[in-house]
Amino acid sequence: METDWSKVLEVFGSGIIGVFMVMFLLQILTQLSTRVIDFVENMGKGNAVVSAPKEAVAKEKA
Amino acid sequence: MLDILRELIFTSGFVSLTGGNIVMWVISFVLLYLAIKKQYEPLLLLPIAFGILVVNLPLTFLMDPEHGLLWFFYHYGIELDIIPPLIFLGLGAMIDFGPLISNPKMLLLGAGAQAGLYVTFFAAVLFGFDLQEAGSIAIIGGADGPTTIYLTSKLAPHLLGATAVSAYAYMALVPIIQPPIMKLLTTDAERKIVMTKLRPVSKLQKICFPIITAMTIMLIVPPAAPLISMLMLGNLFKESGVVERLTNAASNELMNIVTIFLGLSIGATMTAATFLSPKVLFIFFLGLFAFAVSTAAGLIMAKTMNLFLKDKINPLIGAAGVSAVPMAARCVHKVGSEANRRNYLLMFAMGPNVAGVIGTVVAAAILLKNLG
Repeated sequence: METDWSKVLEVFGSGIIGVFMVMFLLQILTQLSTRVIDFVENMGKGNAVVSAPKEAVAKEKA
Repeated sequence: MLDILRELIFTSGFVSLTGGNIVMWVISFVLLYLAIKKQYEPLLLLPIAFGILVVNLPLTFLMDPEHGLLWFFYHYGIELDIIPPLIFLGLGAMIDFGPLISNPKMLLLGAGAQAGLYVTFFAAVLFGFDLQEAGSIAIIGGADGPTTIYLTSKLAPHLLGATAVSAYAYMALVPIIQPPIMKLLTTDAERKIVMTKLRPVSKLQKICFPIITAMTIMLIVPPAAPLISMLMLGNLFKESGVVERLTNAASNELMNIVTIFLGLSIGATMTAATFLSPKVLFIFFLGLFAFAVSTAAGLIMAKTMNLFLKDKINPLIGAAGVSAVPMAARCVHKVGSEANRRNYLLMFAMGPNVAGVIGTVVAAAILLKNLG
């Protein structure tokens, strides 16, 4: 049976490029999501630090 | 009395015994020896070896379509794609993606190692295999048993036994195959590079990762869905922390049960008629080539990344981009600590190692999309 070399090259090229594209996109999305989560979590921590003295004052008043 | 004895002999398996059967027994005994004595991937090699033995006992009809016991295991487990995704469910429940989330650039190392797989595809075609067979052989380079079985069962089911045994054998031989390639492609100074500490990863980040990964990969390469969905579901079980029973079931009981059926089914495909051909020898050779080239591709990818990175990575971790988890990462750690005693590379190598699992699934899905 004759080998379809154009198909071989297509599988070879699209395979290498495809895997890199998917993994690169996944890298970007992972970096993006971790930064967003870091930001949200740090903001939450910041609020907790700010609200902590208020709670302490309220407790003292009580 | 003599008639009874004669009937017993003529209806026994001895009469139908062929030379091929005996060769397959020898192969089975060798695999049993490797599994029991040498402990090379015993969880799989043991049932595979026993499957080979019993299926090559004449007149047992264990692989008779619609009748044989092992045929039912093979048909429902492998042909209908049940077992490999279930293995991935268990694998997901055991994997920690933390090192990868901590340094997402490692995903590129998982991709780099897959380049070797496509080089092997090219080589297999040159050796005269058809495109579907070449795709099934190439995926051995990913060093991922379930993915190899999944893809081969779709593209070239007649090669299933050879590709599966080859994949698992080379996974077990990671500590022998990889170090010479690592040392050949890296300098002593590169092997001594100490990497900067991984940043901590929060629970929410670990929960979001499997969801984002499953959605991204399945949207871009839908043929990856059966494997990647199960892998990420298993991981979500683990990271959510709210379904401990399911996590334990997936990573222990379910994993053990499907491993038995997987091993037996693979062994059962290896009859003398299908296995004893020059093609199979070539498959083992090309499988080794695939694994070596994938290791080299991972190393070269890491060295290339170092040209652009401010904080240099130890290029050895590129070799962990093949997905033999965690053997490849352990091997990297060992070679790294030989070069520099203070070098602790295990956690750094786990990033590309788990990225390799994802990369192999993506590569298999692209092969399936193009050749299926």
